[in-house]
Amino acid sequence: MRKPFQLLIALFASFQATAAPLSVETVAPGVYVHHGVHKDIDANYGGDICNIGFIVGKRGVAVIDSGGSPRVGAELRESIRMVTQLPILYVINTHVHPDHIFGNAAFKEDHPVFVGHEKLAAAMLQRKESYLKHQEEWTGNDAKGSEIIPPTLPVKGSYTLDLGDRTLLLTAHPAAHTHADLSILDSGSNVLWTGDLLFIERTPSIDGDIKGWLQVIDTLRTVPATVSIPGHGPVSKEWHQALDNEERYLATLLADVRAAIKQGRTMEQTMDNAAQSERGKWALFDIVNRRNVNLIFPPLEWE
Amino acid sequence: MRLSHTLTPVATLGLMLFGYSHGAWAEASDKLWPAIKDSFFAGKTIEPAPFIKLEGPRRAESGAQVPITLTVDKPLNDAEAIQKVYLIVDANPIKLAATYHFTPLSGKAQIATRIRQEADSFVRAIGETASGKLYMTTIEIRAAGGCGGPVDGDDSAIRAAAGKIKLSAETPVKFGEANPATFMIKHPMYTGLQRDLVSGGYKPAFYIQKLDFNFNGKPVMSVDVGVAVAEDPYMRFFYVPDAPGVLEVKAQDNEGKTFSQSVEIKS
Repeated sequence: MRKPFQLLIALFASFQATAAPLSVETVAPGVYVHHGVHKDIDANYGGDICNIGFIVGKRGVAVIDSGGSPRVGAELRESIRMVTQLPILYVINTHVHPDHIFGNAAFKEDHPVFVGHEKLAAAMLQRKESYLKHQEEWTGNDAKGSEIIPPTLPVKGSYTLDLGDRTLLLTAHPAAHTHADLSILDSGSNVLWTGDLLFIERTPSIDGDIKGWLQVIDTLRTVPATVSIPGHGPVSKEWHQALDNEERYLATLLADVRAAIKQGRTMEQTMDNAAQSERGKWALFDIVNRRNVNLIFPPLEWE
Repeated sequence: MRLSHTLTPVATLGLMLFGYSHGAWAEASDKLWPAIKDSFFAGKTIEPAPFIKLEGPRRAESGAQVPITLTVDKPLNDAEAIQKVYLIVDANPIKLAATYHFTPLSGKAQIATRIRQEADSFVRAIGETASGKLYMTTIEIRAAGGCGGPVDGDDSAIRAAAGKIKLSAETPVKFGEANPATFMIKHPMYTGLQRDLVSGGYKPAFYIQKLDFNFNGKPVMSVDVGVAVAEDPYMRFFYVPDAPGVLEVKAQDNEGKTFSQSVEIKS
């Protein structure tokens, strides 16, 4: 635990920088996460809806996801500086979604290596114009300074980052939640950081390949982790159970949509009816489940 | 360690004001229409059309595949029939999504399709009679960029798969009446405004341009298709079979390639 005067200095420094530190939870020694609130990405959502955080090793710090605006990124940076003055060596993005990447700009001054899935840069480029166009609508004044910063270290298969007394094993997955998902296993704590491959509480949202995601869930089950930090929701020791829940939702949705197509139902009808047995078990269900149907129905018509 | 995120009263007030002023973001702009009207219907009068119905989501779940249903509640076989309907999305870079040309053999002027929508927008159906009278119905749909999709960029595989058609007629068929059928065609529908991930420039437009539906050789409906029609174009429409026969579709893309498919309508 920190000493009070250190805290005061850190607080003073944070006022100087005009960014207040984010609240963070200590998951394990050197592993910190900030939990955003369960909101949909929409006008004025604020950029703080997912899990973002950092891991501190002897050599320095790895940031894992930076938040939805440069302001949230700067606030995360303040939280880091309250814990350590070691250099920020890496900023890892688990995937392309705007709530996870728009804090990157706040770390430019640290000259970190930006890290992501080998296909992340392409995904960022594809969405750059649309994301930048909406960023002010999404995050208001906090959007100032928003830019797309693609990975300088693309990960294909797996890759290990050395933080000195601990290593981070990065795994690039086939299309699942998105087309470029990366998970991180910390050797120092056996904490698995899943990005949005695991949702807890919040309805899993599909922007990649639902069938691929069901396979990646099987891959994740083999990871020898004791604790998992999901992309959204609380840190969990019962993360196998959480994967089961996620799998149940995705499998139910897939089965319902396939059945609807077979019965000749329209996409609009299916948006109202698919996976309703899961309603009440997830946050933002009515918004996200309908969107999932909208995204998976057209390609499944061609099965 | 837990730190709390505190806001000063001034900051809180600022946030509140900010929140209110930005309610305005979530609205389609009506400022786009005058210029669009001038470019498509210069000097013409357009009357409101209580007999044209447009249905779509208040807020689209995905801007990439926005489901729209257009219905003209007016007979197709009299002098005042709406023969042509323009579907226009104000906020899209290319405004005209599609133009539907109905015939008496359409039976019922109803089209369910899926469009792309870049931003919150008014969506308009403008019907035209044989004598050139214009009628319009407008709805507002909130949407955000339909720009997702795979990033593999395997263009040759996408082009090789393009043009595959599924055409199906709903059964049982009632002869002499309007019956529903569903048409789908595999096609990327490149708008010409999407990034080419290899060159960093833009992918050239590549899209289905024209559809012709016939029953036993007689025209049922034709459609001028634009790039605002979503990837893998989908359409549910009506046709009138007078007797058993063949419902056929011919599709043409902007590079001149043609594709066709037919389905036998049995008694």
